[in-house]
Amino acid sequence: MGASASQISKELLSEYQELTFLTKQEILLAHRRFSELLSKNQDSLTTRVPQEKVLTLPELKSNPFRQRICHVFSTSEEKDDSLSFEDFLDLLSAFSDSATPEIKSHYAFRIFDFDDDGTLDRTDLEHLVNCLTGDTSETRLTPEEMTQLIHNILEESDIDKDGTVNLSEFQHVISRSPDFVSSFKIVL
Amino acid sequence: MLYRTAELEGTDRSSGYQYYYPDSESLRSRTSSHSHSRPLYPPGAQGEHSPGDEAGEGVKALRELPLCLAQKRILSKVSHMKIPVVTKWQSWKLSKSKSMKKFREEVKEASHYLKLWRRALQKIGGNFGSGIQSYFAFLRFLVLLNFVTFLLIGVFVVIPNIVFRTLNLTSLETGSNASGPAECLHYNPSPQGLVYFYSYLLDLLSGTGFMELSALFYGYYQNSEVGVSSQFSYNVPLAYLLTCLFYILLSLTWIVLRSGSGFKLAVVTGDGDLSSYSMSVFCGWDFGLEGEQAARLKQNSIRYELQVELEEDALRRNAASRTLAQRVYLYTLRGVLNLLVVGLILAAFYCIYRASEQSSILQEDPSVKDNFFLLLLVQYLPSIVITAANFLVPTLCDIIIRFERYSMTMQIKLTLMRSVFLRLTSLGVLLYSLWNQITCNGAPHESACRPCEYNYAQYPANSLPSCSQCWETRVGQEMYKLMIFDFITGVVVILLVEFPRRMLVDHCSCKPLQLWGRQEFVVPENVLGLVYAQTVVWTGAFFCPLLPLINTVKFILLFYFKKLTLFQNCRPASRTFRSSTSNFFFLLVLLMGLGLACVPLGYSVAVIHPSFGCGPFRSFSHMWDVVPQSLTSLPKTAQSFFNFLGSQAFAVPLFLLSCLVFSYMAAMASVYGNNVAQLKAQLKLEGRDKQFLVKRISELTPANQKKSAGPSGSVVDISETRELWE
Repeated sequence: MGASASQISKELLSEYQELTFLTKQEILLAHRRFSELLSKNQDSLTTRVPQEKVLTLPELKSNPFRQRICHVFSTSEEKDDSLSFEDFLDLLSAFSDSATPEIKSHYAFRIFDFDDDGTLDRTDLEHLVNCLTGDTSETRLTPEEMTQLIHNILEESDIDKDGTVNLSEFQHVISRSPDFVSSFKIVL
Repeated sequence: MLYRTAELEGTDRSSGYQYYYPDSESLRSRTSSHSHSRPLYPPGAQGEHSPGDEAGEGVKALRELPLCLAQKRILSKVSHMKIPVVTKWQSWKLSKSKSMKKFREEVKEASHYLKLWRRALQKIGGNFGSGIQSYFAFLRFLVLLNFVTFLLIGVFVVIPNIVFRTLNLTSLETGSNASGPAECLHYNPSPQGLVYFYSYLLDLLSGTGFMELSALFYGYYQNSEVGVSSQFSYNVPLAYLLTCLFYILLSLTWIVLRSGSGFKLAVVTGDGDLSSYSMSVFCGWDFGLEGEQAARLKQNSIRYELQVELEEDALRRNAASRTLAQRVYLYTLRGVLNLLVVGLILAAFYCIYRASEQSSILQEDPSVKDNFFLLLLVQYLPSIVITAANFLVPTLCDIIIRFERYSMTMQIKLTLMRSVFLRLTSLGVLLYSLWNQITCNGAPHESACRPCEYNYAQYPANSLPSCSQCWETRVGQEMYKLMIFDFITGVVVILLVEFPRRMLVDHCSCKPLQLWGRQEFVVPENVLGLVYAQTVVWTGAFFCPLLPLINTVKFILLFYFKKLTLFQNCRPASRTFRSSTSNFFFLLVLLMGLGLACVPLGYSVAVIHPSFGCGPFRSFSHMWDVVPQSLTSLPKTAQSFFNFLGSQAFAVPLFLLSCLVFSYMAAMASVYGNNVAQLKAQLKLEGRDKQFLVKRISELTPANQKKSAGPSGSVVDISETRELWE
């Protein structure tokens, strides 16, 4: 189940430490967990892991935003949402303990932007609320509740009144929430 | 107008959309076009900046860019290629700051492993959310605080005394020899005569008998300066007093530092009610949760919270439309119910006061003394009454508050305030009753207290001398009993209430039982229990120096017990618990507990006459007198310096200076508040300007509608805004 023993060289390790918020232990642990997702004879540093395999990680398996997370952090040229090891490090860095609130809010915005158009409009917000409450017929909010909720959200956060929440408005709301940084955290 | 346009353009691009589209550019073209995306990242990562803040800040800025790793690597290579011209001094400073950063990171990594219970807390947070995790983090903080306090006391007070006793070192008596009326000097707590076998158990549980003259209590410690060697002597009373002062200051500093960040957050998010919906939705999901069940439960709780908030909104709109008659009725109802709650609390206080009085009377009763269980019951009577009051009154308040028809958030805050008041003040009432007994109701020169200025023989005793010969040990014993009883109650509740409840709910399927459901882990109640326990320890640590050690052990055991019951018996709270502002609130309550503990300490040290027959202060008329006395042994200049510090010539200017600083801070705060309000208004204005300009542009150049949506966000906005306007 493990990949070939391609250990991370010291220079590469220190480069990763400089460019991400992860500590040395966290990078090595990430490398170990990433190698477990690969089969034998696959080089952990260059192979891309398909999305389905990434989603088997226990930290992501039951997260309603797991597909969006893979999509946002993937730099795959085939647009198949596969993750390389460096994408994986980017993911862990954004979700780490020491990441700045700006980084976290930026990536949170991209994760919540389901249609990738740069703003959170009504459909994005509906989709978001459905992910939060559970997307089955028993767990969704009623249409009246949903409309009222989205109306309230836009009233609170849409400062320039264009009907959508853009990145700065999103960051403005997040900056006033003390719990965001502690809840936007994934630790292996 | 032109200036505005340029500003808006800049703002648009720097909002970061150029690098946001993975579809429009391949990786290679993105990396080569980084020169075009110059305004996108903060100037620190570029080439043209002052050489002083080069390497350290450039790297820091890189890490904080929301780019993928490959792009950051390219940028770092670019920034490293630029060789800035720096002086020798600056390059030395740079290399020093780099190595300092590396060192700090290594220390942080090392301390990561030293963190106590790190994995356990992670597991708790993953399964039950960060609210419950914050309770266990608070418990861990208290364990560390108690352990450090014990280390201080152990090193400066307990161990020297044990060493001196075993080595039988000669003591140089300081001050007057323990002179005083003969009745006051008599102190011999060891039991005489026939001793029953169960008395050892009794002694262990209530700190009497063989426990009393051990290192556990104040009475054991010597009152003298012990000569360790020819030049050096160890002043035991001074060490005792200063250690106490020091650990209180240490606790205060630690708590204040810990609550500093929480305080900033609490002030910044002060008007958090204004964006409660957005915050519940944007920050609602806890990404640390693992497992299907935990995720499902979290989704249920989020849905419940959203529905409750929407419902409350509807209720609030209804409430705003209440008629005058309805309002008057509601306010009178609330007034009556508040009076009822206040009456309940006062009744609880009275019960505690009477229980404490009766306990000390009944302890001397011969019929009680012969019966083991009765004696134990009487000894623990104050603890039992306090625990019962702390359980009954909040339950009744919970029922009452439903009739008061407040909103949910108001209900929670009010319940919490009432519980805090009850807990801390019930302890205060117990201390007040003890003080009454010791100082004969505050009149130390009355008949019963006259010879010794404290109540040396409370009730006319028969052969056995009463323990109040040494009132400090008596107070220490009360605190010890409170602590033991609190722990026993906690364990008994877990074993005899929570486990059976879970077994009933799991195996019996009758409807009311299923509705009652499993135990919910209510964080505020549990945290208040911890604050109460810690206040007891702070109050008692002066009179019972080993109390912090016992408390450390107690809290460690409590951690494991609570973890066990959490995983086995509890379900997560249906209402999400906002951990960070509440963290600040709990630290605030802990500070209040510390303040409460300092009051009897200060009073005992400064006013009440120490016992003549026991303890390190037996030769002084007040405990504080040891400090001025030892100051006289210092050289002249040091003496005058300390005298100056204690005089008014120092205190009054210090007070005036603090007032000045405070008023300056208040002025700055109001200026910043004004700035924030102005910036908010400006933001709204800019949004409206943007809309206006976009509309004008679309009116003036209709051909632009045909242009396909490029990577720039503003073009997308144009088409969307047009839809809104038309």
